[in-house]
Amino acid sequence: MNQMGFYFDQTRCTGCYTCVVACKDWNDNPVGVNWRLIKTVENGTFPNLFLAYLSTSCHHCADPPCVKACPTGAIIKRKSDGIVVVNSEKCLGKKDCGSKCLKVCPWDIPQFRDEENSKMEKCNFCVERLEKGQQTICVEACPMFALDVAPLKELQEKYGNICEAEGFDYLEKYKPSIIFKPKLRK
Amino acid sequence: MVGFKIAQEKDGLKIINTGCCHDCGGRCVLRAHIKNGKIIRLETDNEEDPQLRACLRGRAYRQRVYSDERLRYPLRRVGERGEGIFERISWDEALDEVAFKIKEIKKNYGNSAILLVPGGGNQGMLHGIVSHALMLHQIGGYTRMWGAPSYEGALFASMATYGTMMTGNAREDLLNSKFIIMWGWNPANTVWDPGTSLWLAKAREQGIKIVAIDPIFTDSAAILANDWIPIRPGTDTAMLIAMGYIIITENLHDQAFIEKYTVGFDKYKEYVLGINDGEPKTPKWAEKITSVPASIIENLAREYATIKPAALIAGWGPARTMFGEQYSRAANVLCAITGNIGINGGYSSGFMRAYYSRERIVTGGKKKSGPIKLEEEKLKKPRIQDNPIDFGAPPREDSLYKLKGGTNPVNTRIHYNDYYNAILKGKKGGYPADIKMAYIVGTNRLNQFGNVNKGIKALKSLDYIVIFEQFMTPTAQLADIVLPVNTFMERNDVAVPWLGAPYYIFLNKAIDSIYESKSDLEICKELSKRLGVEQNLLDLPEDQILRLLTAPRKDIKSYNKLKRDGFYKVKVEEPFVAFKEQIEDPETHPFPTLSGKIEIYCEHIAEKNNPLMPPIPKYLSHEEHYDSPKAKRFPLQLLTPHNKRRTHSTLHNIPWLEEVEPHNAWINPIDALRRNIKDGDLIDVFNDRGRIRIPAKVTERILPGAVCVYQGAWYNPDKEGIDLGGCANVLTQDSYSPGGAFPLNSSLVEIELASINKKEGDL
Repeated sequence: MNQMGFYFDQTRCTGCYTCVVACKDWNDNPVGVNWRLIKTVENGTFPNLFLAYLSTSCHHCADPPCVKACPTGAIIKRKSDGIVVVNSEKCLGKKDCGSKCLKVCPWDIPQFRDEENSKMEKCNFCVERLEKGQQTICVEACPMFALDVAPLKELQEKYGNICEAEGFDYLEKYKPSIIFKPKLRK
Repeated sequence: MVGFKIAQEKDGLKIINTGCCHDCGGRCVLRAHIKNGKIIRLETDNEEDPQLRACLRGRAYRQRVYSDERLRYPLRRVGERGEGIFERISWDEALDEVAFKIKEIKKNYGNSAILLVPGGGNQGMLHGIVSHALMLHQIGGYTRMWGAPSYEGALFASMATYGTMMTGNAREDLLNSKFIIMWGWNPANTVWDPGTSLWLAKAREQGIKIVAIDPIFTDSAAILANDWIPIRPGTDTAMLIAMGYIIITENLHDQAFIEKYTVGFDKYKEYVLGINDGEPKTPKWAEKITSVPASIIENLAREYATIKPAALIAGWGPARTMFGEQYSRAANVLCAITGNIGINGGYSSGFMRAYYSRERIVTGGKKKSGPIKLEEEKLKKPRIQDNPIDFGAPPREDSLYKLKGGTNPVNTRIHYNDYYNAILKGKKGGYPADIKMAYIVGTNRLNQFGNVNKGIKALKSLDYIVIFEQFMTPTAQLADIVLPVNTFMERNDVAVPWLGAPYYIFLNKAIDSIYESKSDLEICKELSKRLGVEQNLLDLPEDQILRLLTAPRKDIKSYNKLKRDGFYKVKVEEPFVAFKEQIEDPETHPFPTLSGKIEIYCEHIAEKNNPLMPPIPKYLSHEEHYDSPKAKRFPLQLLTPHNKRRTHSTLHNIPWLEEVEPHNAWINPIDALRRNIKDGDLIDVFNDRGRIRIPAKVTERILPGAVCVYQGAWYNPDKEGIDLGGCANVLTQDSYSPGGAFPLNSSLVEIELASINKKEGDL
């Protein structure tokens, strides 16, 4: 498997939310449904402060807990590229299933619309764009060129192998497919 | 690449190359995916560098175009003014009425009774205010404004010091700097040309040290800069002058540069050393005023003066204060005395418009630079496009009219933050006209200028108000006729970069007009007929007018390419550096000031003999400053900056953007604790001008003593007149600084728990 992955340069992210909004526009997602998320990390007391943003989506883990937790096999890890996709026809829905995927995801990635028994949805790695040779919409949106997508091995060769950042805890048991240039505290 | 260069149709999908053009610091590329006549998705620029990538505002544009709140039909007021009750009427009915009113007011009171209220909310080279102004000029003109809220202080200072607004270096030249100061400048949120934050990040990655000075730990201060120096609002001038003190007393100034290129250094030095007033402007002196420790001021001064070349980039925010022009002047002078002007890696702080093709009238084009001789006759003779009402108007007070390209005496009338007094007081109150009608184009005027409550009183007193808008804004609520205008997705236009960066964007029409909305051009064609305008430029087809309007821009080599690609990036051989010619060859290229040099002491200002507008930059206090008597009642200083998710008040009502950042008031925990306020509590921010009620964001990211309410939230009063929308301008002043600066960051306020919270607490 040639696992696809994300790279995020946290030193560049100004928390502008362009990636989030571009993702919502591309996927026609309403308020409250965020396939891409920004986390704000604030520390210190005036005037000695630290601020970092973390922009992430589904990490398409090498060993994704959501796939195991799903009672109907609606969450599939693609063999070719390791992208984790959802078959919404198989998904039982938030209410009927009790959102087991959300309960096991340490990063709260699975999203549900504000509708009765809505189906789980999340980042699908813009698979239709990748097939056309384009990058994901978030990568092409970022005004700071802080995001990148490629096979994880290529990303590691290009950017190194740091898998933790401010606001992000790496979990070896799931192996999230993301590497970082983390923002360091002074 | 999928169908980028030329709009292609595949599987019923068409991609139109267009852009985003609001009154922000960017003009960016958007590619609209169209299916069945509807925009279904947007992409941005992923072509050649520099990419003009749209920010979140542009990416959310689909929700603005298709918003349920878009104005659909012409509306006529039926209730009391401001009640917000309207009836649907036809375009013919609406335009007949507007034309009749214009003619009636013109006949009874003269053209000066018509007040044009322009804005950048809906713009382009042709649409927005341009079409309307062209039309109104031809029926005899109108009373108009001078002064721009964003930058008037910076502009005045730039003109006084350099004789031009064309200052600074191109962004890519930041990589040639060795030290960068971002003063009151937050491009991470305000954009300032699409690539600015990226260039700053690249500079920092190269090891160039960046220091940010701001009362708020902004995204720029936190992410783009290495160090942050918090400063008390409105005291930036004191810190800049104290830096001058260190530079001069430690002999770090560039004496050769000063002698060759500047005038008036000795008078500045006298002030800085306190020769005449007995008050040396030491870092200790500044520490008391600014709250910045003297040692930090000293270090920054030494670093700036000795690490060369260095770029001091003075943002406009600190100049949006009473005496804001003094701050800009003080920054310009530091650039000069350290010899950082006209060189790669340096920076001439000023108005900040480095690329010059768009302003041929000042120093660009083939005109020789140098001192400008005042040609009285020329100024009296109107050009075709000039507004007839301007001619014969009294000169603007404190105008730098001897400088070409500046604010000359015949094209300015009422300061834009003084409209309400002008309306309420008229000629008897010393204003040049008795205003009867407001003609409002693309601006949420009431919301976006000082003193909303006085604004309501003034606008209600008028005989007639017509507004051309896309949404029922708080301003539109006060109109007699509301006319629905389409967006830039629904017409063709050209977007000119905000500060003149080397590119243009063609806003190709992506979809048909929504509901019954029309473009400004369509409206003005119709209205012109009714007003009897003959030989009308607006009668030409849209494409022909755009060709005419872009023709003087000699850097657009191909209009057809611009239109086809949706953008035109001008090839620039090397980073533009303002005043390179003046520094390399001063004999042939003097500065376009009266002296031909950089004016540390400005003789033209000295002629005004106004102690509140000194010829050298000075720190001045005022009646809404932290140390004024008023501060006993209202001890907190209000800041009203731009946030990341609106463009002024435009895009306020877009759900995707509302989700990004809730509207609230930033206060430091120290101030919150004193008032028993917790994060998220509903609080009132108030002063004598009004009261707003919004949640508190208790955060370390703001200096104690300051409150921040991001400008642009829509005014929404309850029955008692308390603004539940949280419009910052309910609290700001409708006055102006002698140099024209808008004091929108100079308001004193107090905060308290909202009574609704108190009641809950009592129970």
